[in-house]
Amino acid sequence: MQDERGLIEETRSLGNGYHLLKIAVPHAAETARPGQFVMARILPALDPLLRRPLGILDARPPYIWLYFQVLGSGTRLLAGQRPGDSLDILGPLGNTFPELPGQRVLLIAGGRGIVPLFHYARAYGERRSLLLLHGGRSKADLPLLDRVRALRLERLFVFSEDGSLGQQGRLSDGLEKIVRDERPDVTLSCGPEAMLAALAKLLKPFPTRNLVSLEARMGCGFGACQGCVIRTANGTYRRVCDEGPVFPMEEIQWPT
Amino acid sequence: MADLSADLGFCTLKNPVITASGTFGYGEEFLPFYDLDVLGAVVMKGIFREERPGNPPPRLHETPAGLLNSIGLAGPGSAALQEIIRRLHARTPVPIIVNVCGGNDDEFVEVAALFSAMDEVAMLELNISCPNVKKGGACPAQDAGHTARLVKRVKEGIRKPLVVKLSPNAADIVGVAQAAQDAGADALSLVNTFLGLAVDLETRRPVFANVYAGLSGPAVKPLALRLVREVCRKAYVPVIGIGGIASGRDALDYILVGASAVQVGTVNFYDPAGAARIVAEIDAEMERLKIRNLSEIRGKLLA
Repeated sequence: MQDERGLIEETRSLGNGYHLLKIAVPHAAETARPGQFVMARILPALDPLLRRPLGILDARPPYIWLYFQVLGSGTRLLAGQRPGDSLDILGPLGNTFPELPGQRVLLIAGGRGIVPLFHYARAYGERRSLLLLHGGRSKADLPLLDRVRALRLERLFVFSEDGSLGQQGRLSDGLEKIVRDERPDVTLSCGPEAMLAALAKLLKPFPTRNLVSLEARMGCGFGACQGCVIRTANGTYRRVCDEGPVFPMEEIQWPT
Repeated sequence: MADLSADLGFCTLKNPVITASGTFGYGEEFLPFYDLDVLGAVVMKGIFREERPGNPPPRLHETPAGLLNSIGLAGPGSAALQEIIRRLHARTPVPIIVNVCGGNDDEFVEVAALFSAMDEVAMLELNISCPNVKKGGACPAQDAGHTARLVKRVKEGIRKPLVVKLSPNAADIVGVAQAAQDAGADALSLVNTFLGLAVDLETRRPVFANVYAGLSGPAVKPLALRLVREVCRKAYVPVIGIGGIASGRDALDYILVGASAVQVGTVNFYDPAGAARIVAEIDAEMERLKIRNLSEIRGKLLA
């Protein structure tokens, strides 16, 4: 982990508030593992005051790619950055999705939750067969789909709620059949909390090992402020930033 | 190079920059970023006797140039912190200050005595001013009588210097400061966070389960600077100024109104090496202004 000055190489607006940033940031690019994130600071503003946690979509030294949707003041400013601008990039942060050699792995990505799973498929897809179940509200919410199709995947299942892409429905609608047919050993998930809560319920009867990557508002990103906790099933709190963001699914207390 | 040493009477720090409680973890989190020995001292995150889970999320809410927090003094308990302090002290000679908390007066006394007995601890800071423990933000530092009784009892049980951390939410912070020093405080630190409120118009609920939360960051600096000046005019013990310090200039502003040292807090979250940067900036500013040592400007506000 280092705090590095990153130079923005390329920015791309993907419509509907989605953006892709390519940043030259050698240390983070060389050391990032799938599942990790960075804390990005837009210079030199004090509003917003805090850095923004952003998952690493891909890393090819000296570059990393960040993918995000404009949701508030921080992401709006981030979306306004131009090639040649710099950002302070603290990272890579957090734990990782395990490499899982020899295991049959099903990746489950809801919307922007594609970020750490894309990185996973990029890093490990050539060494094993991966399944990816990807869903979103509509075609406009899956702007990376062409890039996702170019990943090395054994099978790709796409769902959209409005039917504009792939099968119509939520990805949770297709989950049980896919797990029964494809018999993965492990599932790795990332997406909105409600989706993850639904997955946790659906996956319970299956013998799969289930890991999930969580999103949280963070103060520091490295365990000092204790601002990003989530409640676990046994009632304690865990820090998403440095005890996560990857947790066993059954350890989390999901909203009912 | 200017002389940055900060005289607290009972000890001299190599420079006036101390990291504020709750914003620097237990020191170890910042070891990857810089050598902590460049700082005047570090304050551990506040500690109770037993482990505390802290408040339910959300715990943070940003405001313009500010941060509302309701962490609720989550922590591992005194025994675990003693282990951490031994580990930290083995890695760096930076003076370690323990921020002592308590759910009642007896617990404050007990926890203070426990850490007073540790050779690795340079001094104690009595946290009678956290707004996130009791609903509504109540804390002992809102009442001069309670502060005096508690400081006296804690002092009787320890043999280390005691800094008493004051609340900006007291009706009369100068009165509480006077009560604390008369009861035996060796120094005063101020301010803790300002009690604030954030609401969610969509849900029509407060953002935080505890309703009120503590505001910190650059947004509070002018408010805190005024309170530090007022306390400094009446204090006969050293004052450590706290509130929104994000640069060397900010730190020197506090010295100018009478503080002997400063604590830097929220900046540690968004700039992990910020405290070390502030030390370097103080040096550069003193060079530029031809200030040889801090006593040349301490309390020398022309007003």
